[in-house]
Amino acid sequence: MVPAVAVLAAFLLYPIGYSLWLSFHEWSGYTPTWGPFVGIANYLALARDEVFWKATWNSLVFVIVRTPLEVGLGFLLAILLNRKMPARALLRTLFFVPVVMSLIVVTIIFQRIYEPNTGLLNAMLRGIGLGALAHPWLGDAVTALPAVIAVSVWKNVGFSLVILLAGLQSLPQDVIDAGRVDGANAWQLTTRVIAPLMRPILALTGLLSIIGGLKVFDLVFIMTRGGPTYSTEVLATMLYRQAFELNEMGVASAIAVILVALVLGTARLQTLLVSERDEARA
Amino acid sequence: MTRASATAAPAHPRGGRRAALGALAAAGVLLLALAISIAPGLYMLSMSFMDNPQLFAGRLVAWPLRAQNYPEAWRASDIGRLYGNSMIVATVSMVLTVAISAFAGYGLGRIRFAGRGIVYALVLVGLTIPLQIALIPLFINLRSLGLLNTRLALIGPYTGFGLAFGTYIMKGFFEGLPRELEEAARLDGAGEFSIFARVMLPLTRPALATVAIFLFLQNWNEFLFALTFITEGAMRTLPTGIYALLSSEFYGNYPILAASLVLFSIPVLVLYFLFQQQFIEGLTAGALKH
Repeated sequence: MVPAVAVLAAFLLYPIGYSLWLSFHEWSGYTPTWGPFVGIANYLALARDEVFWKATWNSLVFVIVRTPLEVGLGFLLAILLNRKMPARALLRTLFFVPVVMSLIVVTIIFQRIYEPNTGLLNAMLRGIGLGALAHPWLGDAVTALPAVIAVSVWKNVGFSLVILLAGLQSLPQDVIDAGRVDGANAWQLTTRVIAPLMRPILALTGLLSIIGGLKVFDLVFIMTRGGPTYSTEVLATMLYRQAFELNEMGVASAIAVILVALVLGTARLQTLLVSERDEARA
Repeated sequence: MTRASATAAPAHPRGGRRAALGALAAAGVLLLALAISIAPGLYMLSMSFMDNPQLFAGRLVAWPLRAQNYPEAWRASDIGRLYGNSMIVATVSMVLTVAISAFAGYGLGRIRFAGRGIVYALVLVGLTIPLQIALIPLFINLRSLGLLNTRLALIGPYTGFGLAFGTYIMKGFFEGLPRELEEAARLDGAGEFSIFARVMLPLTRPALATVAIFLFLQNWNEFLFALTFITEGAMRTLPTGIYALLSSEFYGNYPILAASLVLFSIPVLVLYFLFQQQFIEGLTAGALKH
């Protein structure tokens, strides 16, 4: 017990405290000791930095677009899989494969698929006579972020699917049967009976997706490095750039603190919303 | 349910056909989704057997197969060494985390002690907090300890950051074990530790397996710490070793890259397909207990 607490504390509280304190200092990372205490100057510098707002905006867009798609598609597939059918277990296994694949693998495959001249996506578009839509997906500041988000959705839908399917299978069968006896069709059954019962599990899946979206790093870093012209820069990639390319350890720490506040704030907000609703219903 | 459909059927003579159409549409959607899910992986496999002219001609299926991409990929990134590094780092951290989580999960799940709520809150925070918060503190400390570019630079953080997940799953599982077991063992004169080690721990094998597989996969795939703490070639793990290929003479040589990616993915996929039942069920049980 004691070692676990010690390790947990060391790996949680220490970095938070360290980053918070460092975010009030100026430091290149190269001198043996930190530079001068600068108060909230690093935060003010971020507030004046267009790239920071761009990165924050992109992180939010990432979450706002990704989470509904991930949870929605996952729920749709879970409902379709939640019936007797041949090879159901195999289907679930295969849908989950992208989740266990490494992001570096996924990213390189999709870079190839998105490649403008000989990439698979444009080749397919030309093949079916939609050549006019062929596009340098990752090279254009307008389509780069949606293209990256699409890959993220592709990789994570299986996770939502598996959690939601387990949730569906844990629902009280008699309530659903009662709905069916009362003459509800499949659509009514899904929207009026199953969806409300599933709300806590949908909320959990959504929360996991939001948190995952705020943290996203590998995918963006490998696929676009935040470009072109910061169109895919997110908080985590900006943090890395500030710390290890621009040698602004204080500013990078400030971004880390903001990121943690966003993530823990979201988690807290979600718990409050869910428990309030439950109380209202009780 | 069978009774309900039996009575409903005569009232809606078209019900059967509509249900059949519905099932057909459902199957169609599922198959389309399945194709989208697995096509990129299959494309990678196919690319790994192409030569560059086939690739640039936009071929989907490699033919004739060019198997020498594999030995070339093996040499290009010195994959043998990357495998070794990844295997050591991922396994050692996983074993350490599993061992500590088993104790911690037992303590949290079955022993009432002062401060238990705070410890559990720490675990929950640990589950959600972004790893990026630790990037700079770890980098600075590892550097001043002279540990950058050593295996320890990854084993330490992987062990520590796997702990919240491990403890969470183990706690949930220990909590679910019947109290009578513990009492029976105590009546037989077993001490606290032997109750844990001889009675409880063997029962948690499914949970231990879930935690072990999940952590191994996570460590095997981890990129950010590996990128930051290992800056020289010798100690690189697979993800950053392959990432380094992107800025080498093999940049854009997708057949070679794809072959490396296949080699990289094989252990993960083998492990996943062998244990997927246990793995998925353990994960979902953990999530739904929330």
